[in-house]
Amino acid sequence: MSPKKHTILFVDDEPMFTEPLRLVLEAKGFNCVSLTDMSAAVDFLDSNEVSVLVSDIMMPSGEAFPGIDSSETGFHFVSLVREEFPDVRVICLSVIGDQTKIEKLKRQGALYLRKGETPLETAAKLIETKATGVINF
Amino acid sequence: MNESQIAALVSENERLKAELNEVRASSNQYLQNVAHQLTAPLGAIKWSIEALKDPQVPIGRKSNLLSSIYSQATILVHLIKNFALMSNLEADLELGQFREKPEPIDMMRLAINLANDFQPQASERGNKIVVAESTFHKVFGSKKLAIEKNLVAQAISNLLENAVKYADSRETINLLAQADDRTVSIVVESKGIPISDEEKRNIFARGFRGAAARQKVAAGTGIGLYLASRVMKLHQGAIHVDAQGRISRFALEFPRPKLK
Repeated sequence: MSPKKHTILFVDDEPMFTEPLRLVLEAKGFNCVSLTDMSAAVDFLDSNEVSVLVSDIMMPSGEAFPGIDSSETGFHFVSLVREEFPDVRVICLSVIGDQTKIEKLKRQGALYLRKGETPLETAAKLIETKATGVINF
Repeated sequence: MNESQIAALVSENERLKAELNEVRASSNQYLQNVAHQLTAPLGAIKWSIEALKDPQVPIGRKSNLLSSIYSQATILVHLIKNFALMSNLEADLELGQFREKPEPIDMMRLAINLANDFQPQASERGNKIVVAESTFHKVFGSKKLAIEKNLVAQAISNLLENAVKYADSRETINLLAQADDRTVSIVVESKGIPISDEEKRNIFARGFRGAAARQKVAAGTGIGLYLASRVMKLHQGAIHVDAQGRISRFALEFPRPKLK
Protein backbone atom coordinates (compact mmCIF):
# COMPACT_ATOMS: atom_id res chain seq x y z
CA MET A 1 0.00 0.00 0.00
CA SER A 2 1.37 3.40 -0.88
CA PRO A 3 1.96 5.85 1.98
CA LYS A 4 -0.99 7.94 0.73
CA LYS A 5 -3.42 5.26 1.89
CA HIS A 6 -2.15 5.44 5.47
CA THR A 7 -3.49 7.92 7.95
CA ILE A 8 -1.30 8.83 10.88
CA LEU A 9 -3.08 10.44 13.80
CA PHE A 10 -1.09 12.71 16.10
CA VAL A 11 -2.57 13.56 19.49
CA ASP A 12 -0.68 16.16 21.45
CA ASP A 13 -1.58 19.49 23.02
CA GLU A 14 1.89 20.84 22.24
CA PRO A 15 2.31 20.94 18.46
CA MET A 16 5.98 21.89 18.78
CA PHE A 17 6.92 18.20 18.68
CA THR A 18 4.31 16.77 16.36
CA GLU A 19 4.64 19.53 13.75
CA PRO A 20 8.22 18.66 12.66
CA LEU A 21 7.33 14.93 12.59
CA ARG A 22 4.21 15.64 10.62
CA LEU A 23 6.09 17.69 8.02
CA VAL A 24 8.64 14.92 7.50
CA LEU A 25 5.96 12.23 7.18
CA GLU A 26 3.80 14.33 4.87
CA ALA A 27 6.86 14.81 2.68
CA LYS A 28 7.03 11.01 2.49
CA GLY A 29 3.41 10.98 1.29
CA PHE A 30 1.48 10.04 4.45
CA ASN A 31 -1.86 11.53 5.30
CA CYS A 32 -1.43 13.18 8.72
CA VAL A 33 -4.03 14.51 11.14
CA SER A 34 -3.23 16.41 14.37
CA LEU A 35 -5.63 16.64 17.33
CA THR A 36 -5.03 18.07 20.76
CA ASP A 37 -6.98 15.96 23.26
CA MET A 38 -8.19 12.44 23.98
CA SER A 39 -11.90 13.18 23.38
CA ALA A 40 -11.28 14.57 19.89
CA ALA A 41 -8.98 11.65 19.10
CA VAL A 42 -11.54 9.01 20.12
CA ASP A 43 -14.14 10.81 18.00
CA PHE A 44 -11.80 10.71 15.03
CA LEU A 45 -10.94 7.01 15.54
CA ASP A 46 -14.67 6.22 15.66
CA SER A 47 -15.23 7.40 12.13
CA ASN A 48 -11.86 7.13 10.33
CA GLU A 49 -9.41 4.43 9.49
CA VAL A 50 -6.10 5.15 11.20
CA SER A 51 -2.93 3.11 10.62
CA VAL A 52 -0.75 4.57 13.33
CA LEU A 53 -1.61 6.61 16.38
CA VAL A 54 1.17 8.80 17.74
CA SER A 55 0.05 9.99 21.16
CA ASP A 56 1.39 12.14 23.94
CA ILE A 57 0.96 11.01 27.57
CA MET A 58 0.55 14.31 29.40
CA MET A 59 -2.30 16.04 27.61
CA PRO A 60 -5.89 17.13 28.24
CA SER A 61 -8.56 14.41 28.24
CA GLY A 62 -11.22 16.73 26.82
CA GLU A 63 -14.93 16.96 27.53
CA ALA A 64 -15.90 13.32 26.92
CA PHE A 65 -13.49 12.07 29.60
CA PRO A 66 -13.74 14.35 32.63
CA GLY A 67 -11.78 13.74 35.81
CA ILE A 68 -8.61 12.35 34.27
CA ASP A 69 -5.44 14.02 35.56
CA SER A 70 -3.65 15.41 32.51
CA SER A 71 -0.36 13.81 33.59
CA GLU A 72 -1.99 10.38 33.13
CA THR A 73 -4.27 10.87 30.12
CA GLY A 74 -2.13 8.87 27.68
CA PHE A 75 -2.30 5.71 29.81
CA HIS A 76 -6.09 5.81 29.78
CA PHE A 77 -6.09 6.58 26.09
CA VAL A 78 -3.73 3.72 25.13
CA SER A 79 -5.82 1.20 27.13
CA LEU A 80 -8.97 2.42 25.42
CA VAL A 81 -7.43 2.22 21.96
CA ARG A 82 -6.12 -1.29 22.65
CA GLU A 83 -9.64 -2.39 23.66
CA GLU A 84 -11.73 -0.62 21.08
CA PHE A 85 -9.41 -0.17 18.10
CA PRO A 86 -7.07 -3.18 18.25
CA ASP A 87 -5.91 -2.74 14.65
CA VAL A 88 -4.45 0.70 15.24
CA ARG A 89 -0.71 0.57 15.94
CA VAL A 90 0.29 2.80 18.83
CA ILE A 91 3.38 4.91 19.41
CA CYS A 92 3.68 7.00 22.55
CA LEU A 93 5.66 10.15 22.26
CA SER A 94 6.34 11.77 25.58
CA VAL A 95 8.90 13.03 28.05
CA ILE A 96 8.03 10.72 30.94
CA GLY A 97 11.01 8.84 32.37
CA ASP A 98 9.25 6.53 34.85
CA GLN A 99 10.39 3.05 33.76
CA THR A 100 7.46 1.18 35.37
CA LYS A 101 5.03 3.31 33.43
CA ILE A 102 6.99 2.89 30.21
CA GLU A 103 7.06 -0.89 30.76
CA LYS A 104 3.30 -0.87 31.17
CA LEU A 105 2.90 0.90 27.83
CA LYS A 106 5.22 -1.60 26.17
CA ARG A 107 3.25 -4.51 27.63
CA GLN A 108 0.19 -2.98 26.00
CA GLY A 109 2.03 -3.19 22.70
CA ALA A 110 2.87 0.49 22.37
CA LEU A 111 6.25 1.69 21.17
CA TYR A 112 7.65 4.40 23.42
CA LEU A 113 9.71 7.28 22.06
CA ARG A 114 11.11 10.14 24.10
CA LYS A 115 10.38 13.56 22.70
CA GLY A 116 13.42 15.36 21.40
CA GLU A 117 15.78 12.51 22.38
CA THR A 118 15.06 10.01 19.62
CA PRO A 119 16.42 11.70 16.47
CA LEU A 120 13.58 13.01 14.31
CA GLU A 121 14.60 10.89 11.35
CA THR A 122 14.57 7.72 13.46
CA ALA A 123 11.18 8.58 14.92
CA ALA A 124 9.79 9.21 11.43
CA LYS A 125 11.20 5.93 10.14
CA LEU A 126 9.75 3.98 13.07
CA ILE A 127 6.32 5.47 12.40
CA GLU A 128 6.69 4.70 8.70
CA THR A 129 7.63 1.09 9.49
CA LYS A 130 4.66 0.70 11.86
CA ALA A 131 2.35 2.09 9.17
CA THR A 132 3.55 0.15 6.15
CA GLY A 133 4.98 -2.96 7.81
CA VAL A 134 8.03 -2.48 5.61
CA ILE A 135 11.40 -1.87 7.21
CA ASN A 136 13.07 0.80 5.15
CA PHE A 137 16.26 1.83 6.98
CA MET B 1 15.01 15.09 82.75
CA ASN B 2 11.91 13.07 83.49
CA GLU B 3 10.27 10.47 81.29
CA SER B 4 7.57 12.70 79.91
CA GLN B 5 10.15 15.29 78.86
CA ILE B 6 12.13 12.59 77.07
CA ALA B 7 8.99 11.34 75.35
CA ALA B 8 8.22 14.90 74.23
CA LEU B 9 11.73 15.26 72.81
CA VAL B 10 11.47 11.94 70.98
CA SER B 11 8.17 12.90 69.40
CA GLU B 12 9.50 16.35 68.49
CA ASN B 13 12.48 14.64 66.86
CA GLU B 14 10.15 12.38 64.87
CA ARG B 15 8.11 15.35 63.73
CA LEU B 16 11.20 17.24 62.54
CA LYS B 17 12.45 14.17 60.67
CA ALA B 18 9.12 13.82 58.87
CA GLU B 19 9.14 17.52 58.02
CA LEU B 20 12.68 17.29 56.63
CA ASN B 21 11.70 14.31 54.45
CA GLU B 22 8.72 16.21 53.15
CA VAL B 23 10.87 19.22 52.23
CA ARG B 24 13.39 16.92 50.54
CA ALA B 25 10.70 15.17 48.52
CA SER B 26 9.12 18.41 47.40
CA SER B 27 12.43 19.97 46.40
CA ASN B 28 13.30 16.79 44.47
CA GLN B 29 10.01 16.96 42.67
CA TYR B 30 10.58 20.63 41.98
CA LEU B 31 14.01 19.94 40.45
CA GLN B 32 12.59 17.19 38.25
CA ASN B 33 9.88 19.55 37.13
CA VAL B 34 12.45 22.25 36.34
CA ALA B 35 14.55 19.78 34.33
CA HIS B 36 11.51 18.73 32.35
CA GLN B 37 10.48 22.33 31.69
CA LEU B 38 13.92 23.12 30.32
CA THR B 39 14.36 19.94 28.29
CA ALA B 40 11.05 20.09 26.46
CA PRO B 41 11.62 23.36 24.53
CA LEU B 42 15.18 22.30 23.68
CA GLY B 43 13.95 18.95 22.35
CA ALA B 44 11.36 20.73 20.23
CA ILE B 45 14.01 23.09 18.87
CA LYS B 46 16.21 20.11 17.94
CA TRP B 47 13.40 18.38 16.07
CA SER B 48 12.41 21.56 14.26
CA ILE B 49 15.99 22.04 13.10
CA GLU B 50 16.11 18.43 11.88
CA ALA B 51 12.91 18.98 9.90
CA LEU B 52 14.37 22.22 8.48
CA LYS B 53 17.37 20.24 7.26
CA ASP B 54 15.19 17.63 5.54
CA PRO B 55 15.34 18.42 1.79
CA GLN B 56 12.03 16.62 1.17
CA VAL B 57 10.04 19.04 3.34
CA PRO B 58 8.79 21.84 1.06
CA ILE B 59 10.33 25.26 1.69
CA GLY B 60 6.90 26.85 2.00
CA ARG B 61 6.11 24.80 5.08
CA LYS B 62 9.36 25.54 6.84
CA SER B 63 8.48 29.05 8.01
CA ASN B 64 6.17 27.53 10.66
CA LEU B 65 9.13 25.64 12.03
CA LEU B 66 11.11 28.86 12.34
CA SER B 67 8.27 30.52 14.26
CA SER B 68 8.07 27.49 16.50
CA ILE B 69 11.82 27.63 17.21
CA TYR B 70 11.43 31.31 18.02
CA SER B 71 8.59 30.71 20.50
CA GLN B 72 10.40 27.83 22.13
CA ALA B 73 13.49 30.01 22.58
CA THR B 74 11.28 32.75 24.08
CA ILE B 75 9.79 30.22 26.50
CA LEU B 76 13.26 29.05 27.52
CA VAL B 77 14.60 32.55 28.13
CA HIS B 78 11.49 33.39 30.13
CA LEU B 79 11.80 30.23 32.24
CA ILE B 80 15.46 30.72 32.95
CA LYS B 81 14.82 34.32 33.98
CA ASN B 82 12.15 33.10 36.40
CA PHE B 83 14.53 30.62 37.98
CA ALA B 84 17.28 33.21 38.26
CA LEU B 85 14.87 35.69 39.84
CA MET B 86 13.67 33.21 42.42
CA SER B 87 16.76 33.35 44.62
CA ASN B 88 17.55 37.04 44.08
CA LEU B 89 14.04 38.13 44.91
CA GLU B 90 13.94 36.36 48.25
CA ALA B 91 17.24 37.98 49.24
CA ASP B 92 16.00 41.41 48.10
CA LEU B 93 12.79 41.02 50.06
CA GLU B 94 14.68 40.09 53.21
CA LEU B 95 16.82 43.21 52.87
CA GLY B 96 13.75 45.18 51.82
CA GLN B 97 15.64 46.84 49.00
CA PHE B 98 16.14 46.60 45.25
CA ARG B 99 19.22 45.09 43.63
CA GLU B 100 18.91 47.59 40.78
CA LYS B 101 17.72 51.12 41.41
CA PRO B 102 14.13 51.69 40.22
CA GLU B 103 13.93 53.94 37.18
CA PRO B 104 11.10 55.81 35.51
CA ILE B 105 9.68 53.51 32.84
CA ASP B 106 7.31 54.21 29.95
CA MET B 107 4.69 51.57 30.75
CA MET B 108 2.95 51.60 27.39
CA ARG B 109 6.19 50.89 25.60
CA LEU B 110 6.98 48.11 28.03
CA ALA B 111 3.48 46.64 27.58
CA ILE B 112 3.75 46.72 23.79
CA ASN B 113 7.18 45.08 23.83
CA LEU B 114 6.03 42.29 26.13
CA ALA B 115 2.85 41.73 24.14
CA ASN B 116 4.98 41.41 21.00
CA ASP B 117 7.20 38.85 22.73
CA PHE B 118 4.25 36.58 23.44
CA GLN B 119 2.33 37.20 20.21
CA PRO B 120 3.87 34.22 18.33
CA GLN B 121 2.96 31.83 21.16
CA ALA B 122 -0.53 33.32 21.35
CA SER B 123 -1.14 33.00 17.63
CA GLU B 124 -0.24 29.29 17.74
CA ARG B 125 -3.53 28.83 19.61
CA GLY B 126 -5.37 31.41 17.55
CA ASN B 127 -5.23 33.99 20.33
CA LYS B 128 -4.24 37.60 20.07
CA ILE B 129 -2.76 39.93 22.66
CA VAL B 130 -4.14 43.45 22.43
CA VAL B 131 -2.62 46.40 24.30
CA ALA B 132 -5.43 48.85 25.08
CA GLU B 133 -3.33 51.92 24.30
CA SER B 134 -6.06 54.41 25.17
CA THR B 135 -6.13 53.13 28.76
CA PHE B 136 -2.37 53.67 29.04
CA HIS B 137 -2.70 57.23 27.67
CA LYS B 138 -5.46 57.92 30.16
CA VAL B 139 -3.65 56.52 33.21
CA PHE B 140 -0.09 57.57 32.45
CA GLY B 141 -0.36 60.52 30.06
CA SER B 142 3.25 61.65 29.77
CA LYS B 143 4.17 60.23 33.18
CA LYS B 144 6.33 57.24 33.90
CA LEU B 145 6.34 54.62 36.62
CA ALA B 146 9.34 54.28 38.95
CA ILE B 147 9.99 50.55 38.96
CA GLU B 148 12.69 47.94 38.62
CA LYS B 149 12.05 47.28 34.96
CA ASN B 150 13.33 43.71 34.69
CA LEU B 151 11.34 42.53 37.67
CA VAL B 152 8.09 44.14 36.59
CA ALA B 153 8.62 42.98 33.00
CA GLN B 154 8.96 39.44 34.32
CA ALA B 155 5.81 39.80 36.44
CA ILE B 156 3.80 41.06 33.45
CA SER B 157 5.32 38.30 31.27
CA ASN B 158 4.22 35.68 33.79
CA LEU B 159 0.65 36.97 33.60
CA LEU B 160 0.77 37.03 29.79
CA GLU B 161 2.26 33.56 29.64
CA ASN B 162 -0.52 32.19 31.84
CA ALA B 163 -3.15 33.96 29.76
CA VAL B 164 -1.71 32.42 26.58
CA LYS B 165 -1.57 28.96 28.18
CA TYR B 166 -5.00 28.95 29.75
CA ALA B 167 -7.13 31.11 27.45
CA ASP B 168 -9.77 29.51 25.26
CA SER B 169 -8.56 29.38 21.69
CA ARG B 170 -9.38 32.28 19.37
CA GLU B 171 -9.92 34.67 22.27
CA THR B 172 -8.36 38.09 22.76
CA ILE B 173 -6.05 38.69 25.70
CA ASN B 174 -6.22 42.30 26.86
CA LEU B 175 -3.36 44.18 28.44
CA LEU B 176 -4.58 47.44 29.94
CA ALA B 177 -3.92 50.13 32.53
CA GLN B 178 -6.28 51.40 35.23
CA ALA B 179 -6.07 53.77 38.16
CA ASP B 180 -7.88 54.99 41.27
CA ASP B 181 -7.04 57.61 43.90
CA ARG B 182 -4.29 55.58 45.50
CA THR B 183 -3.05 53.12 42.89
CA VAL B 184 -2.19 52.50 39.26
CA SER B 185 -2.47 49.00 37.85
CA ILE B 186 -1.45 46.95 34.88
CA VAL B 187 -4.13 44.38 34.11
CA VAL B 188 -4.13 41.21 32.04
CA GLU B 189 -7.62 40.09 31.16
CA SER B 190 -8.51 36.88 29.36
CA LYS B 191 -11.24 34.34 28.81
CA GLY B 192 -10.39 30.76 29.61
CA ILE B 193 -10.42 28.17 32.36
CA PRO B 194 -12.45 29.33 35.37
CA ILE B 195 -10.78 29.97 38.73
CA SER B 196 -12.72 28.86 41.82
CA ASP B 197 -12.94 30.92 45.03
CA GLU B 198 -10.86 28.27 46.78
CA GLU B 199 -8.20 28.52 44.05
CA LYS B 200 -8.20 32.33 44.29
CA ARG B 201 -7.06 32.01 47.90
CA ASN B 202 -4.08 29.81 47.01
CA ILE B 203 -3.22 30.99 43.54
CA PHE B 204 -0.22 33.12 44.56
CA ALA B 205 1.37 30.40 46.70
CA ARG B 206 4.63 28.93 45.48
CA GLY B 207 4.10 25.70 43.56
CA PHE B 208 0.32 26.06 43.39
CA ARG B 209 -1.45 25.00 40.21
CA GLY B 210 -5.22 24.86 39.93
CA ALA B 211 -7.02 21.61 39.08
CA ALA B 212 -8.38 22.95 35.79
CA ALA B 213 -4.93 24.35 34.95
CA ARG B 214 -3.36 20.93 35.52
CA GLN B 215 -6.02 19.32 33.36
CA LYS B 216 -5.54 21.78 30.48
CA VAL B 217 -1.74 22.03 30.48
CA ALA B 218 0.31 19.26 32.06
CA ALA B 219 3.55 21.20 32.32
CA GLY B 220 3.97 24.12 34.68
CA THR B 221 6.31 25.12 37.48
CA GLY B 222 3.74 26.84 39.65
CA ILE B 223 6.08 29.77 40.32
CA GLY B 224 4.87 32.38 37.80
CA LEU B 225 2.20 34.03 39.95
CA TYR B 226 4.19 33.51 43.13
CA LEU B 227 7.09 35.44 41.59
CA ALA B 228 4.76 38.16 40.33
CA SER B 229 3.36 38.58 43.85
CA ARG B 230 6.89 38.82 45.32
CA VAL B 231 7.85 41.43 42.71
CA MET B 232 4.80 43.47 43.67
CA LYS B 233 5.61 43.17 47.37
CA LEU B 234 9.09 44.54 46.70
CA HIS B 235 7.40 47.51 44.97
CA GLN B 236 5.10 48.07 47.99
CA GLY B 237 2.26 47.10 45.70
CA ALA B 238 -0.02 44.10 45.42
CA ILE B 239 -1.33 41.55 42.98
CA HIS B 240 -5.04 40.80 42.69
CA VAL B 241 -7.10 38.25 40.88
CA ASP B 242 -10.69 38.79 39.96
CA ALA B 243 -12.47 35.97 38.18
CA GLN B 244 -16.06 35.60 37.13
CA GLY B 245 -17.01 32.57 35.10
CA ARG B 246 -14.47 32.19 32.33
CA ILE B 247 -13.22 35.78 32.52
CA SER B 248 -10.22 36.38 34.72
CA ARG B 249 -8.37 39.58 35.46
CA PHE B 250 -4.96 39.72 37.08
CA ALA B 251 -3.91 43.17 38.26
CA LEU B 252 -0.46 44.37 39.28
CA GLU B 253 -1.19 47.30 41.55
CA PHE B 254 1.44 49.98 42.24
CA PRO B 255 1.17 52.78 44.82
CA ARG B 256 0.30 56.03 43.06
CA PRO B 257 3.41 57.92 44.31
CA LYS B 258 5.47 55.75 41.94
CA LEU B 259 3.87 57.70 39.09
CA LYS B 260 6.42 60.36 38.11
